[in-house]
Amino acid sequence: MHKAIIIDDERLARNELKKLLTEFPDIEVVGEAANADDGLDKIENLSPDIIFLDIQMPGKTGFDMLLQLDKAPHVIFITAYDEFALKAFEVNALDYLMKPVEPKRLADALQKILLAEEKELAAAMVGLNRGMLSESDQVFVKDGEKCWFVKLGEVRLFESMGNYAKVYFGANKPLILKSLNALEERLDERIFFRANRKHIVNMRMIEKVEPYFNGGLLLDLKAGEKIEVSRRQAVKFKEMMSL
Amino acid sequence: MVNKISRYWACQLIGWSLNIAISIFFVTTFGEPNTIFFLSLLLTCMLGVLVTHVMRLNIHGLKVLSKPLRKQIFYLLGLTIIFSIFFGILTEGIDYLIGYNPDRLQKYSKMQRLFFSSFNAMWLLLIWNMIYYTYHYVEQNRRQELDTFRLEAMVKSLELKTIKSHINPHFIFNALNSIRALVDENPTRARRAITELSNILRSSMRAEKMETVPLQQELDIVTDYLALEQMRFEERLRVDMDIDEDTLNQPIPPMMLQTLVENAIKHGISKQIKGGIVRIISDFKDNHHELIVQNSGTLNGSAVDNNDGFGIKSTQDRLNLLYQGKADFLIRDMGDGMVESKIIMPVAANL
Repeated sequence: MHKAIIIDDERLARNELKKLLTEFPDIEVVGEAANADDGLDKIENLSPDIIFLDIQMPGKTGFDMLLQLDKAPHVIFITAYDEFALKAFEVNALDYLMKPVEPKRLADALQKILLAEEKELAAAMVGLNRGMLSESDQVFVKDGEKCWFVKLGEVRLFESMGNYAKVYFGANKPLILKSLNALEERLDERIFFRANRKHIVNMRMIEKVEPYFNGGLLLDLKAGEKIEVSRRQAVKFKEMMSL
Repeated sequence: MVNKISRYWACQLIGWSLNIAISIFFVTTFGEPNTIFFLSLLLTCMLGVLVTHVMRLNIHGLKVLSKPLRKQIFYLLGLTIIFSIFFGILTEGIDYLIGYNPDRLQKYSKMQRLFFSSFNAMWLLLIWNMIYYTYHYVEQNRRQELDTFRLEAMVKSLELKTIKSHINPHFIFNALNSIRALVDENPTRARRAITELSNILRSSMRAEKMETVPLQQELDIVTDYLALEQMRFEERLRVDMDIDEDTLNQPIPPMMLQTLVENAIKHGISKQIKGGIVRIISDFKDNHHELIVQNSGTLNGSAVDNNDGFGIKSTQDRLNLLYQGKADFLIRDMGDGMVESKIIMPVAANL
């Protein structure tokens, strides 16, 4: 059974979707919200597996809401007709449905999510830790008009930029509104290593380790970035690696 | 075409007459004119007309005027030189036939004299060609400009058509979605909603064919539209109408009020979590017909500047086109969390 919530400012639209979802016994709608703030509360309290999200809402848009989440659940966007939203999706082919929703397309979208979830479950079996973000968890990031759901495992580097952090993945490095310290608390330290004041490195993305001045280390990442490890952290790094 | 040909011949006549006049002026001032000189001059100019006419046929035949400018200059010089030599030979021949053989030229050989004649002819033909090409160049530019104007006018009328028939697709699909939800929940309301939606679609299609419609007709659409939006927004949308009955017959541009109300919903009501009010006012004021839409919200500078695809700018353009500056469109922040857009139109009498 998968828990779902519906976030849409129109009552009728929510009702219509609920009705469509009664055809799917695997999905239980545990809550609904009429705006982004309400939606954030519901996500926090009900921790749904799937959210159905309208993009155009009063106050904050669906995108704005997702940006505030530490960890994005599976999202299916629902939109009536919105060129802006569709443009964003073209880039990375997320799931979206058009109002009025076609049952067949809804089934396809759900199927895709359930498959993805199975894979994640297998991956996350090792050392499941409540509250911690695992490699298979995804975050929602937005850079101008482009948006992505990024699996943490695909991120090679977080770089501090004041209150923001720059997220390096693939050829992209958008900003997210999170301090590096806040990120460090939530990230699994066996995979994400705090190399220095400014950087958190994904250990699986390290290609080469070299000794550096003052007893520090220099990490060569797979995409070519070179990150310095401070002396104190170098000790910790060596300890971890020797295990 | 007749006009064109006669203009060409008029130019030929005037040009060569001018040439004769100048030659006579110089000869009578600085030399001693005799009959044979005049005969030579007259025949030369007649030859000139003939030679340049053949040259023109060549210009046409080679389609020189439609070539790029650089090639045109190349052809102009080439043709001038070839026809100058041709012209030179002919004038020398004529002079020989009529026995024109002034003293000052007798010391030169035949070849030298041919060279002088051709050189003289070259200047004449060069001037002739300059005039010919410049005329056509200017003419072509003028025609191009005319075409551009015509194209712009066409684009404008097409734009107007699309503006008129524009109904926000976002609205249509949302309305359809709401109707589907209502089919079970409130079948009566669902059926009414389908009628309302059909009315709007039908009017927007019909609006393409008309310049103005009576306010009453436009209000019917707007009422249907607002009823559908109320179905979506429920208690978040309140509507208030304040219409002077005497204005109901006033002609207004179709779908204009509708566009303003759509904007009021899109930029006003749908942005507010608690929703708000849309108020429509129609009244006579200072010999004008004022049509006003007020809505909850604040005026966002960027929305006004971006002119939002269709909206503020298109409304202004349509009014300008229809009333030639006698109508006005204003949008302002009223300060108390309300935005007002206002159309001021001349009053149409004799209805």
